[in-house]
Amino acid sequence: MKKRLFAFALLAAMLVGLLSGCGAKKAETPAAEDGVVVINYPTFQCGVNTAAPVVDQLISEFNETYAGKYQIVKEDVPGDANYVDKIKVQLGTGDLPPVIYGAGYNLLDLVIAKDLAVDLTPYVEADPEWKALYSDASLATNSRDGKIYASSVEGSQVGYFYNKELFAQAGIEAPATTWDELFQQCETLKAAGITPMALDTADSAWITQLWWGAMVATASEDGLAFMQTMNPRDYNTPELISTAEKIQKMLQEYTTLDAIGGKYENAANNFLSGQAAMIANGPWMIGDFSDTTKTTADFAEKVGVAIYPDGFVYDAPIQGYIVTKQDDPKLEEAAIEMVKFFTSAHAQQLGLEMQGMVPASPSVEITDYAKEQYPLLAEFLDKASEATVSTDNMQATMFSNLLDVISQELPRLYSGELDAAGFCQAMTDAAAKN
Amino acid sequence: MRAKKRWIVLFLLPAVILFLLIYAIPLVMVFLTSLFDYRLTGSGMTFVGLKNYVQMFHDPAFRTSLLHTIIWILIHCVLHVALGVALALVLYKKPRGWKFVRTTYMIPNIISNAAVGMIFLNIFNPQYGVVNSILRAVGLERLTHNWLNETATAFPSVTMVWLLFAGYTTTLVLAEALSIDESVLEAAKVDGATGFQMDKFVVLPLLRKIIATTMVMAATYMLQMFDLIYVTTNGGPGKATTNLPLLLYGVYKSENNYGYANTIGVVIILLGAIVMTIINKLFRVNEDDY
Repeated sequence: MKKRLFAFALLAAMLVGLLSGCGAKKAETPAAEDGVVVINYPTFQCGVNTAAPVVDQLISEFNETYAGKYQIVKEDVPGDANYVDKIKVQLGTGDLPPVIYGAGYNLLDLVIAKDLAVDLTPYVEADPEWKALYSDASLATNSRDGKIYASSVEGSQVGYFYNKELFAQAGIEAPATTWDELFQQCETLKAAGITPMALDTADSAWITQLWWGAMVATASEDGLAFMQTMNPRDYNTPELISTAEKIQKMLQEYTTLDAIGGKYENAANNFLSGQAAMIANGPWMIGDFSDTTKTTADFAEKVGVAIYPDGFVYDAPIQGYIVTKQDDPKLEEAAIEMVKFFTSAHAQQLGLEMQGMVPASPSVEITDYAKEQYPLLAEFLDKASEATVSTDNMQATMFSNLLDVISQELPRLYSGELDAAGFCQAMTDAAAKN
Repeated sequence: MRAKKRWIVLFLLPAVILFLLIYAIPLVMVFLTSLFDYRLTGSGMTFVGLKNYVQMFHDPAFRTSLLHTIIWILIHCVLHVALGVALALVLYKKPRGWKFVRTTYMIPNIISNAAVGMIFLNIFNPQYGVVNSILRAVGLERLTHNWLNETATAFPSVTMVWLLFAGYTTTLVLAEALSIDESVLEAAKVDGATGFQMDKFVVLPLLRKIIATTMVMAATYMLQMFDLIYVTTNGGPGKATTNLPLLLYGVYKSENNYGYANTIGVVIILLGAIVMTIINKLFRVNEDDY
């Protein structure tokens, strides 16, 4: 009898363990007061992410401003890729968090495809202050078919950095103003024994595609139109092929050996260690120039910043916060308030002053404090304001499956196994899968 | 007796429920969804029958990935297992330091694959990697390559990342060899068998089943191989090192095409079943030794 009782108790424990393991358990959130709408907000802008302090500050301010009405509860999802995966899984189940950050991953089109995005147009139209923050570029990034679905907080202005000391060693006085001059400078640097460029091919080849996109945008009117197209399908155009040839030349002649197959980190390290004279990247890299765990103490003084030849700069707001459709209208209202708060002029200025993030709206003032804190950023923004051509970057507009394809095909372009036309054909074929 | 059976059924129930939830139901779902056009960007699931399967066999990326998977299974089952068995037979003679070799040879197998991948990224680095540095040092600079990123060298280089580390095979085969009845070996000695003859005609035939087991393990390892390729080449350059799991991941993650990804999943499952059947038949696993 005792044996049976013991066996029964053991079996019961196993079943309880199994069922409790399978049972759905809601995420633990701090108990909200009665009537307070809780917004669960998963974000990758946590931990070591550069925007984490800004997001924490905004959450704290929002919860204080809307105390007793709304409360944001942050859920840390470290790593951009993990966040995108999580949102995609939730998209599949139709159970999205009330607010999503589109960032550079074009989550907006996926959410719209599932008809889960809230049309923000009437709310923006009803609020002149909010509406004033939308530039034409911001509207283009966050709207589809004339309806506003998202709101940006951060801009993406990208030029390139150069090592003034290495330029001086090669006798170069100023950054190039034409592409021919840039390639001539590469030859001059090479002749002086200096590797001209830090490039990459892995992880979507962020740096290399910045150079490629800049050349495409300034190649012709059609090239500019291509760069302004969302999800372009045809890479078999004369301007893309001719500029891919120049990328091939850059990879073969003007960069380090480990650029082929190398990630962004390799390229950044080559620039930060003074092994390469130029790197294309955004102002968020400025902090690295004075980070003594990454480079020498005096490196920041050696770095200059420039816009691309032919007066080009990448200038586009990063896809912003999206409100998703919820069963509870109060939660949807709260989410709209949160997005409005997180993309306000105050929020954009906070990002600028705390972390040197470029505001999404041109109407947000670059304060003296920010200029003093980030002199290289201020210098870049001055130069960027003189640019005559600007678009979003290629990565933000290409189909997401092309991010892998570009990484897989660039090494073949480098080795000559593919010529520029073959490389562009591979991109076109991959785009056709969408 | 009936009461005892009831208890057996009850005790098996948690494991059966777990199996159904974690393996059986998802497997059925994988097969069913492979018959649908099912995309994250689509409005829902549309039944398309065998269209995904037809598309798959017209897809050059699938054919390349299937070929790579089969080649890697063959290489792993033959060369990798042969290396492990050969070392086990050497250690079986218990030469001096055999226990030390047995233990140290296992070390690469207990390091995480991500770490092994990172180590080989550095070994094959074209700028400062060990391989190119040695070639330069001995005056063979013309033989240096960007090993993991040139089409001609990427496949063999990635293969080298796992080929030599046959610690599991060695350990399993050695354990089985050490358990062979001494009287069988004594009888062979009395009959005048040399060391080589004993290995060939007595020991190896008795190790047939464990070798088959290690081959099954090697085949399934290659069928699942993802992390080492992902870390070192991510399937490139082009599709030079893409296998079926990596292709499946790309179709799922980058193209958001769940139906087609599950079609590839079904092929991986079928390929596994075929490979295991062949190995079992070749090694007569279900037959007794003596």
